[in-house]
Amino acid sequence: MVKELLEFVEEGAEAVVFTGYMLGNKVIVKQRIRKPYRDQRFDEIFRYTRTKTEAKILAELFLKGLNVPAPLIVDIDKYLIVMEYIEGRKLVDIINETSENKIAKIATELGVQVGKMHSQNIYHGDLTLGNIILSVDGHVYLIDFGLAGYSRDIEEYAIDLHLLRRSLMAIVPEKFEVFFGNFLLGYRNGYPQKYQEVINRLEEIKLRGRYVEERLKKIRGERYSE
Amino acid sequence: MYVLGIESTSHTFGVGIVEYDGKDRVRILSNVSDQYKPLSGGIHPREAAIHHTRIAPLILKKALKEASLSLREIDVYAIALGPGLGPCLRVGASIARFLASYYKKPLIPVNHAVAHIEIGKFINKFKDPVVLYVSGGNTLVAVQRKSRYRVLGETLDIPLGNMFDTFTREIGLAPPYVVDGKHKIDICAEWGSEFISLPYTVKGSDLSFSGLLTAALNLARKHIGNKEMIGNICLSVREIAFNMLVEVTERALVLTRKHEVLLVGGVASNRCLRTKLETMAKHHKSTYGGTPIEYAGDNGAMIAYTGLLAYIHGIAVKPEDAFIRQRWRVDEVDLPWLKNY
Repeated sequence: MVKELLEFVEEGAEAVVFTGYMLGNKVIVKQRIRKPYRDQRFDEIFRYTRTKTEAKILAELFLKGLNVPAPLIVDIDKYLIVMEYIEGRKLVDIINETSENKIAKIATELGVQVGKMHSQNIYHGDLTLGNIILSVDGHVYLIDFGLAGYSRDIEEYAIDLHLLRRSLMAIVPEKFEVFFGNFLLGYRNGYPQKYQEVINRLEEIKLRGRYVEERLKKIRGERYSE
Repeated sequence: MYVLGIESTSHTFGVGIVEYDGKDRVRILSNVSDQYKPLSGGIHPREAAIHHTRIAPLILKKALKEASLSLREIDVYAIALGPGLGPCLRVGASIARFLASYYKKPLIPVNHAVAHIEIGKFINKFKDPVVLYVSGGNTLVAVQRKSRYRVLGETLDIPLGNMFDTFTREIGLAPPYVVDGKHKIDICAEWGSEFISLPYTVKGSDLSFSGLLTAALNLARKHIGNKEMIGNICLSVREIAFNMLVEVTERALVLTRKHEVLLVGGVASNRCLRTKLETMAKHHKSTYGGTPIEYAGDNGAMIAYTGLLAYIHGIAVKPEDAFIRQRWRVDEVDLPWLKNY
């Protein structure tokens, strides 16, 4: 990779992202950088494991036919991944201007994709509107798998849904109902086997936060009073 | 106009008074408080409430004296109705209900967590920050949107302050938990130099500290008396916990594309956390804002100030309806002044 041929795109929470060309195709170059606030020994372990995880899971999901960028080159010692460039924009940047009809369509497709991912026993770990791309041809792509992992525990799948819910409430609370409702419809199609279990767990997770009054009601049952 | 705020959600009983000129100037006239300090163990809610009952008249008088005001001159009373410990909340609520009804003045209900955030914004002149709120009872990352604070991440088990307190207590270093403004974990961390790997648990933007606490305690119990090793463990517990906080705050900052980072709550006075957060904010070309110690911990001024905001926006409660709420999440409170975000 010749740095001069790369064009800076953005700096995310973990990595710097460039675009470049490989054999005539546009690619994304993502490199996890050192965090000045993190102890150095700690920092290296982090960047190493997260790069490795991301590469492994991208490859697996891509081969299974899910909508993720194809990983092309992995250089773990440089904490670097080169992957396919997806022409499109992050949901976080466009959701405010997107019509309800379009949101319903996007959310349903996202639900199917996430459901399929979970049915492969893979969770994303950071499923927010910043990690979902809407491509120019109208498809939904998942990116940023640094916190992802393999698990058969439905807890991890429910956490993905919980994170998505949180990020919707923080960014577009007024569109939450239409988005999440349609997302669940898609999710049921993508992962019918465990759908109900995951939804039940999702409700449980909501009650785990601090100072949740409903939890007190649940524990005390009939004896609960204001 | 003068607003008097009362705080009594946990170990602190505090009274603060703010002045408002009716346009845009708000001044904090006084901020007096006293803390219940257990001789052993943690906070006993009943003992803390007894402390508050004893100290309340004195603190109230002191706050009025510092502001050179009498109770007759107070226009509005604000009270932290929750979240917090029941017996403690009842002390403040009783006093506030009495004062408001006796002097026939409006009574304003205030959510304690909202008050921590609002006072931080006020001091730093922030408009729309990513907020990291860390104290003995809370650990969360929030942003304001459509009339509410929206929680992006929070602890799934124990709050950070609670974890530091428990750890130092269990290995025999506390109480007292804070000496000369420094927490025992920071004092202990100075004895150490080596970094030890311990569980780091970030789930998306949520945090969990119980695994870290258990692992650290198990290790520390094998090395009681070995000052250097205990120091290494304290150093590592602190390093890992703070890195977790900074990581989730960084994610929230990048996701929401905001340009201000605000640290509030009791742990906001911790220098190590401050430095890490400031470094992160600068790295993302954002402005960092902390909270000075007198407004970082629980205090009456933050209740008075938030009460003022609420009063201006038409929020009030009848004294007979001013029930305490032990559980009252920050994201359940509608705040008219955040309508346009």
